[in-house]
Amino acid sequence: MSRGTLVYATQRLVLITFTALVVSSIVFIGVHQLPGSALASERRLNPATEAALLHHYNLDLPWPQQYVLWLNGLAHGNLGESLVNMGTPITPLLLRELKVSVTLGLAAVLVTIVVGMSLGVLAAIRQNTWVDYAASSAAVVGYSVPSFVWAFLLILLTVSGFYAWTQGQIYEDLGWGKIEQIPVPAFALGLPYAAIVARLTRASMLEVIRQDYVRTAWAKGLSARVVILRHALRNALIPVATILGPLITGIITGSVVIEFLFGIPGLGQEFVTSILSRDYNIVIGVFTFYAALVGVANLIVDLLYPILDPRIRYG
Amino acid sequence: MATVVPTTIEIPQELHVLGIDDMPEQVTLWQDAWRRLRRNRLSVIGLVIIGTFVAVAVISFVWTPYPTWRQALGTTYQGPSLIHPFGLDDYGRDILSRVMGGAGIALTVGVGASLIASIIGIVLGLTAGFYRGKIDVVISLLINISYGVPDLLLALILVVLVGRGIQNIILAISITAWLGMARLVRGQTLSLREREFVEAARSIGTKNVQILARHILPNALGPIIVQATYLVPAAIIFEAFLSLLGMGVPPPSPSWGAMASEGYKAIQIAPHIVLFPCLALSLTVLAFNWVGDGLRDAIDPRMRK
Repeated sequence: MSRGTLVYATQRLVLITFTALVVSSIVFIGVHQLPGSALASERRLNPATEAALLHHYNLDLPWPQQYVLWLNGLAHGNLGESLVNMGTPITPLLLRELKVSVTLGLAAVLVTIVVGMSLGVLAAIRQNTWVDYAASSAAVVGYSVPSFVWAFLLILLTVSGFYAWTQGQIYEDLGWGKIEQIPVPAFALGLPYAAIVARLTRASMLEVIRQDYVRTAWAKGLSARVVILRHALRNALIPVATILGPLITGIITGSVVIEFLFGIPGLGQEFVTSILSRDYNIVIGVFTFYAALVGVANLIVDLLYPILDPRIRYG
Repeated sequence: MATVVPTTIEIPQELHVLGIDDMPEQVTLWQDAWRRLRRNRLSVIGLVIIGTFVAVAVISFVWTPYPTWRQALGTTYQGPSLIHPFGLDDYGRDILSRVMGGAGIALTVGVGASLIASIIGIVLGLTAGFYRGKIDVVISLLINISYGVPDLLLALILVVLVGRGIQNIILAISITAWLGMARLVRGQTLSLREREFVEAARSIGTKNVQILARHILPNALGPIIVQATYLVPAAIIFEAFLSLLGMGVPPPSPSWGAMASEGYKAIQIAPHIVLFPCLALSLTVLAFNWVGDGLRDAIDPRMRK
């Protein structure tokens, strides 16, 4: 990593911290205007208990003062305590869930890239044949079918389908914790985006395989595998890399729905349950985590560019 | 040197000099785009599908085979039959009627959110791109920070904040969906404002607002229409996401996302409950994407194959 890249990455990290701070501050202030709280719920509390509880969470202070206290905690990596499960610190909880979400997200990105690129390359080298038409139409259809519909189809296929087919020998149970439970949600999450990658790969491959150096590679008698993978695909990757940023943001968002459907204990599911139970401290915490996650994911993508295309240099 | 110089040029019968009668018919940019769109087979199919769903939605406002909310029409979880072509759901409601009603909700949310998001994006994009300077810095910062916020989470908070009515859902989606449009319009405006026709307009004292409305906006309209078309299916999927998480239009409204969410609980014993709303949803989204692709190719000649 060159000096310029290092400076660039540092600058970006500062910007990400700033963005995460602004976003979570806006959410903090916004959430404090929301009606109701986790404390004012089913049970009617006696005034003394309620006052003690409010004091415990600093909720008896005016919000600017709460905000300063919260910022102070944030600087020490402390996001506070859950409002619903008293005494549960939020930071370790969210770190644990972050690991789950990142695992699922990376698996989905892998699906997106492998499936998308294979389809795209295949369509490009067999241009205007039935392979191309099939792959290209699969791409538009794949993109139009939202992730949760893929999830339903895959659940029907794996859970009900395999069960019936193997007469009860294979039973896929949904959830999280075992390695064989990762592929189904990862495919559901990754397939719509794989379609976009396939389209882009096809278009950029078609441009590249007409260039002189590829013809030279063929003329030298290199094998098809080397020409396509080493010569053509490597350059065709550059335009594809430009959508990796929005794609990762999309996968992070999509994982909220997928985690909810599959009962995966990640950040997304935590967000949905917390907002329904009005556990605003966790809501703010998840937002902070997500803002940082989106920023870091995009930074990693930007650091990949100079590796793919040595003409790009930072600094 | 003997060169043969022909004294007369013989014009073959099938050729003739182009005259005024042979001038190509005058067509505007939009007529030309419409002509190209009509020639795109997938776009035409997409338009037909969208037209069908619009018709179904309009019909569903006055008539559905059964009321969309009427429960216990027969055995619950009943599969497709002659009386109930799409079967019954977990409350014994007629799924065909509910899918029909869902078309209205999906199209209202999709088109409504696309329109509002486009207006927000166009106004902010035009302002940032045209006035540049501090205004641009502020708007661009707003866009960049908002890009760091997962839109679904923001929409969920907004829905909790303002409630689950259909207008609120449309508003929540619009507030998260304008970013792309703002970026696009800003970029277009930045380049258009340097063009000669804008300079000419300015030199005769045209007001800024008029330059924006008469000269810049019409020239950026092509990409704006394409982007707005793509926003419709995105908003429809977004509404389904919200409904799936229990934060969409409130029950008993027959939103496709809500139907999928209810059916998901029984997906293994009665897959038909999720099948039909998901099919309708995917088909609508597919149709809009086809039309969007066709429009993009038709309006932007550089993208043409």
